[in-house]
Amino acid sequence: MIATLAFYVFAVILLVSASMVVSARNPVHSVLFLILTFFNAAALFLLAGAEFLAMILVIVYVGAVAVLFLFVVMMLDVNFAQLREGFQRYLPVGATIGVVLLVELFMVLGGWKFAPEAASLRFAPVTPGVHNTAQLGRLLYTDYFLLFQASGLVLLVAMIGAIVLTLRDKGDGRRQDISRQLARTAADTLVMVDVATGAGMKDVGILRPKVAEPEPVAAAHDHGHGGHH
Amino acid sequence: MTWTAMNWTLAVPELVLACCGMGILVFGVLSKRETFQLCSMLTIGAFLLTGVLVLPGAYGVGYSGLFTSDAFSAFVKLLVLVAAALCVVVSLDYNEHVNLRRFEFPVLMLFCTVGMMLMASASNLMTMYVGTELMSLAIYVLAAFARDELRSAEAGLKYFVLGALASGLMLYGISLVYGFSGSMAFDKLAEALADPASASPGLVVGIVFIVAGLAFKVSAVPFHMWTPDVYEGAPTSITAFLGTAPKVAPMALLVRAMATPFGQLLVQWQQLIVLVSIASMLLGSLAAIGQRNIKRLMAYSSIGHMGYVLIGLAAGSVDGIRGVLIYLVTYVFMNVGTFACILAMRRRGKMLEGISDLAGLGRTDPAMALAFAVFMFGMAGIPPLSGFWGKYFIFSAAVQQGMWTLAVIGVLTSVVGAYYYINIVKVMYFDAPEEAFDPRPASLSFVAAVGGLFTTFFFVFPAPVVAAAEAAAKVLFR
Amino acid sequence: MTEFLQTPLGILVLTLVQALLLLVPLLIGVAYLTYAERKVLGAMQLRRGPNVVGPFGLFQPFADAIKMLMKETVIPTGANRLLFLMAPMLTFTLAMIAWAVIPVNDGWAIADINVGILYLFAISSLGVYGIIIAGWASNSKYAFLGALRSAAQMVSYEVSMGFIMVTVLICVGSLNLNDIVNAQKTVWFCIPLFPMFIMFFISTLAETNRSPFDLPEGESEIVAGFFVEYSAMSFALFFLGEYANMILMSAMTTILFLGGWLAPFGIEPFTWLPGPLWFIIKVVAVLFVFLWVRATFPRYRYDQLMRLGWKVFLPGSLLYLVLVAGVLVAMGWLPHAA
Repeated sequence: MIATLAFYVFAVILLVSASMVVSARNPVHSVLFLILTFFNAAALFLLAGAEFLAMILVIVYVGAVAVLFLFVVMMLDVNFAQLREGFQRYLPVGATIGVVLLVELFMVLGGWKFAPEAASLRFAPVTPGVHNTAQLGRLLYTDYFLLFQASGLVLLVAMIGAIVLTLRDKGDGRRQDISRQLARTAADTLVMVDVATGAGMKDVGILRPKVAEPEPVAAAHDHGHGGHH
Repeated sequence: MTWTAMNWTLAVPELVLACCGMGILVFGVLSKRETFQLCSMLTIGAFLLTGVLVLPGAYGVGYSGLFTSDAFSAFVKLLVLVAAALCVVVSLDYNEHVNLRRFEFPVLMLFCTVGMMLMASASNLMTMYVGTELMSLAIYVLAAFARDELRSAEAGLKYFVLGALASGLMLYGISLVYGFSGSMAFDKLAEALADPASASPGLVVGIVFIVAGLAFKVSAVPFHMWTPDVYEGAPTSITAFLGTAPKVAPMALLVRAMATPFGQLLVQWQQLIVLVSIASMLLGSLAAIGQRNIKRLMAYSSIGHMGYVLIGLAAGSVDGIRGVLIYLVTYVFMNVGTFACILAMRRRGKMLEGISDLAGLGRTDPAMALAFAVFMFGMAGIPPLSGFWGKYFIFSAAVQQGMWTLAVIGVLTSVVGAYYYINIVKVMYFDAPEEAFDPRPASLSFVAAVGGLFTTFFFVFPAPVVAAAEAAAKVLFR
Repeated sequence: MTEFLQTPLGILVLTLVQALLLLVPLLIGVAYLTYAERKVLGAMQLRRGPNVVGPFGLFQPFADAIKMLMKETVIPTGANRLLFLMAPMLTFTLAMIAWAVIPVNDGWAIADINVGILYLFAISSLGVYGIIIAGWASNSKYAFLGALRSAAQMVSYEVSMGFIMVTVLICVGSLNLNDIVNAQKTVWFCIPLFPMFIMFFISTLAETNRSPFDLPEGESEIVAGFFVEYSAMSFALFFLGEYANMILMSAMTTILFLGGWLAPFGIEPFTWLPGPLWFIIKVVAVLFVFLWVRATFPRYRYDQLMRLGWKVFLPGSLLYLVLVAGVLVAMGWLPHAA
């Protein structure tokens, strides 16, 4: 009873927030409603016994993808009123296509036949005794191993593409080489010099590069010396 | 399932090529200097190595039925590898010239080729989709590779947006097919659809969407809108690539998908293919006439050629499929040769794309003019050049199946198409000569010579190609 | 009584009681963590820290709490009211609900779910929303900059944290937190997975926006970052959330690497102390390191932070993951999930 109730609650919230995603005026609100939608979808997964999928949905879509969405939407200054200008004009065409698709969908559904195995599979979505995480793993890494690897290549190509098309490395940036910094010792950079009282920097042979040398005042000597540490 | 039952060795060529790709990528990233030339050479080497691995032909079904290696896939893979290797050779000098010397270029072409090989071996709708995506994604990036040039960026973006739409259509079709038949494996689908009466309308709608998605990739009418703009905007070395391997693999996939799982539903999809084929042939031959830009002309020409190839598929027989494969072989060599000539069109360091720029080439550079003329005659289908034989095999298969209308339309549009091909020859030999082109780089001469010799002398030794194509086609009709 | 506890209402009541039993000590812990931080920092900087309110300043947290409650919540003009007020609540709630799956002793968790570690990971990855929403809703440059920094930072470090967790998981063969602790009976994972342990701890610093990764706040550059516009109770909720998250991350470190409630070596003098006490001792020890780090290290520069996350931790954790998996397979030590 509780499970049924929970299902309807989550399902209703999911549908309402999904429709808010497209109808909200503020794009940031849209993304936030999208996140709510993801959450409810995750809850529905949980009710269906697919706990691993539920958590992965939250981690990947809410924790990473939607963050980037939000990031972009907040950074962009999109004028949505302007985007909507053509709406009235294109409405008849769009509506016609929509109606045609809807009619087609009904025609297709009219001929719907379940695959013979589907009816029996529906009542046992999980094999008893095997954890559904393990089952997913078996599917991904054994049965669909090839597709898994190929999808990895697709992502690699996407990554190369993003770098190729956007990275503009002029090579004149100042890079930090941490290992070199750490390898530097005091002996490489520090010279201890005894400066006689009253002697100028020039007398000792220490010169700061490219700094116009002001006429040394006697009191400033100690200060200048300290600057080398 | 044990490790041996996976039959993973069947995909060794793909695995080796992908590993080579990653190795070249790491090498390119880590080396301090620009390594475009070296990485290109390594990529060509990887293609050759993979080709050698494909040749011995370990056949069978592997990866839980996701992957099939047979004579058909081997034929297509070899063709794709040869085409890709020639395109890398073609790009060597051009990319250097137009300042696109970045090692990612050959690497992306390599991964694109991995995707195409996967497509050739797909025996599951999911493999088909993933392979297609791998190929397309790499091409989207390559089309926009000259990122500082507005036309190239536009080409990449346009191709990407429309391509994503096509992929969406294909996925939708796949989901419909899965929903109405309960499987995505080709052999299971063939079993389930053994009785054509059992096919529900939903399934047929799904097939239509899959055909639409693949037709977009081969740029058949009415999914051709992107072709001229992308051909024109993309860097010319990529346009050369676009016209060869990325046409072969989706076409082969379309053939396998129609022949194997949906083979019993021939009546359902035949009409569709016939319509697409006629429309492509008409548009390809008519719209090309007014073109001034040679790259755009080649775009329309490729649309027309895909129309002819689809005739073979529409015939739905071993002979038809054999014709498709032979046509693709001849087309690849003519196309890559033509683009080698187009890439050599530069005057005082400036790349030229106008047809009128070819004026008088017959006097200023007879060798190049001869090669160009051979390709143009070949594409027009003048005997005894290879283009004629491709058309011959296709049309005769259509006639065997009693598809007279299709064959007649094909011949008529060939005649119309011959007009603009021969027009180029006219411009080269009979128009007043302009200033000579810059000296040709050796790599372009090499590719043009390879293409030209193949096109000219195909009729002398057609037997190996025809026999291989026949063996490949028979696999699909067991 | 036992029958009543089987009914839906009984389960509800029982869960509420359990939640209270967990949350009340937790909130007191949070209060005294703020006190401990000031005392530890004081000691490390040769000062006294709070010492006025109550003996040794022990009532300082309560004084602070009352002060926060009495002040007015200021909402800046142009702020998105709803989101502005929602953000701190979100941060606080997320820090609380994660505790539902933390086992304090064998089987002592409010919800002993199969995918406990994923639940924790999911909740901790949501923490970024409180900050982003706060930064955006405040309608202030500094707040927004802080939010952007935080979004990039937390998403980056989650990646390597995920790999580190996977390394632990392949040693355990289960996603259940109880199983993870029980798998450490022979040896705590901090010993065989020592590099991962260090990386995980550093990633938790980044994940909780603690020094030296406190760029989202960045007092000296962006004047307190994402919560610059917050005051009174809404500020207090952020504050509580941050400290509750610190405790949560310490608890996670304890469970994943320090053997949870298990006594060291499982031998006599150590086993006299009950499990929950060991758990608390370990969490406190990790928390002390949190404070120690804050007293010791200067703040990272942003590019250094990103470099550490993507160029050191990500390849490092991947490499070690492959190594561990390889060793497990080669030696036949791979645990098989039931």
